[in-house]
Amino acid sequence: MPREVDISNIEQHFILQALEQGVRLDGRPLDHFRNLDLQFGDEYGTVTARLGKTRVHVQISAEVTKPLEDRKFDGIFTIVTELSPIASPAYEVGRQTEQEVILSRTLEKAIRRSRAIDTESLCIIAGAKCWSIRADVHVLDSDGGLVDCACIAIVAALRHFRRPDVSVDGETVTIYTMAERVPVPLSIMHHPVCTTFSFYHGGETVLLDATRSEEQVRDSSVTFTVNDFELCQVSKMGGSSIDALVLLKCINTALSKGKEINEIVAKKLAEDTTKRDVGGLIAELRAENER
Amino acid sequence: MPLDTISTYSHTLLRQDGRRWNELRRITASISTQPSSDGSSMLTMGNTVVLCTVTGPREGRGQRDNNNAIVETDLNVAPFASIERRRRTRTDKQIQELQSTISSSFQSHLFTYLYPRSLITISLHVLSLDGGLLVACLNAASLALVDAGVPMPSILAAVSSGIIVPTDDSKAKVEPVLDLNNAEEQELAYLTLATVSGGEKQEDKVSVLMMDSRVEIAASTGKVEAMLATGVDGCKEVRRKMEDVVKKHGAKVMMSRR
Repeated sequence: MPREVDISNIEQHFILQALEQGVRLDGRPLDHFRNLDLQFGDEYGTVTARLGKTRVHVQISAEVTKPLEDRKFDGIFTIVTELSPIASPAYEVGRQTEQEVILSRTLEKAIRRSRAIDTESLCIIAGAKCWSIRADVHVLDSDGGLVDCACIAIVAALRHFRRPDVSVDGETVTIYTMAERVPVPLSIMHHPVCTTFSFYHGGETVLLDATRSEEQVRDSSVTFTVNDFELCQVSKMGGSSIDALVLLKCINTALSKGKEINEIVAKKLAEDTTKRDVGGLIAELRAENER
Repeated sequence: MPLDTISTYSHTLLRQDGRRWNELRRITASISTQPSSDGSSMLTMGNTVVLCTVTGPREGRGQRDNNNAIVETDLNVAPFASIERRRRTRTDKQIQELQSTISSSFQSHLFTYLYPRSLITISLHVLSLDGGLLVACLNAASLALVDAGVPMPSILAAVSSGIIVPTDDSKAKVEPVLDLNNAEEQELAYLTLATVSGGEKQEDKVSVLMMDSRVEIAASTGKVEAMLATGVDGCKEVRRKMEDVVKKHGAKVMMSRR
């Protein structure tokens, strides 16, 4: 079966010794993210996120469906991730590797189970009709930090997405096209951001946003999901054991990094809104004006 | 639910099942329960019952590592484990995630370099489930590996800890609770913690940390710190109980040889 290409012993030793001296291969400080870039597509809900050399493309789609039997008042939100050979030769089509399960479960816990989307607002008719929001995550390039990049991309796409407007008349539901009515944004409760810390030398060296080479030589890693003031999810799935105080320091670092990333995402979304505002006419079209 | 912990705890300081904040559920365990396997254990934490068998170290089939043994985990949750019967297939992502967590935690915890080109298979069967699924699986697997004679620096002990936040007063003191059952897991924010002993006069170290709930991070409240501290202390208590089980079994073995 295909396997990740191992780096050589010399390279491993070089990376570990450089980290002992507090130096990374790409020159970053130990607690810095790579350069984050977001590109929004023409359609709502299309985002390509780039974190260094890692690239993730997310597409949000919505359709009307029947709600689950035990949750009549909730809409449905699913995240579909698939690692394909386009990202790395280690991935194989169809075969679910352990990394894909971890990626899928971490994103599910970070975004869906922490209720980033208000699924109650997706209900149209209780028990009969609701919106089903689907986030398709395509990993285009994999160079470490996959969970972080995918989480940022999904949250940005959800904030960018607009669903068609709906009106209800008794049992009749009318869905308006984009040309008839302005589409409606999703109800986002909070903006979770994943940050992954890697540990080396028995937990003495802590690294933020490791590249693929750094990921291969690490002892263990932990993924924190934070929003502006809450810790939403923690995943430390084995690996070498780390002192609890070190984990607490990482939580505080994750909190500040999460705020930074949310600011970047908000800025990029504002830029995209400005770009869609052709000729700056939205100000003229406002119906609510102050006296 | 008819009675919930948050509303009644502030008056009585007793949980729904009568425990105090730092009390574990009743833990009973036995090892060498399955003679056909190399190591086996049966663990009961409250109403959660887990059966674990360990096969190996034995010859690995397929992939093999020339430097270390490979640890594999197979987890089965019985359909009758919960109140509602539900069949969980092997492709359930939650089960796969738990399997991966157990495998990687023991892969780095055991002295696998002593058994190169070998395979250690941990089979877990959950017979009854009342909260603390990962906790019970990790504890049962630790005991089974001890029974199998696989060397490890210390017993890996797991526990869950949660936080009770009074809803009326946001500045009231937060109360950590230890070893949550199923009703408490539905209601409170909690985390699952597994630690290993740090050696002589050293702090315990965290090997597994999983949390699905949202907890406020603030220097004033210290909710995460409270949960972590309670969990680490609870792990020490769990490890002590598991060590007692091993000692009793060892004494019984020595007695039967005399």
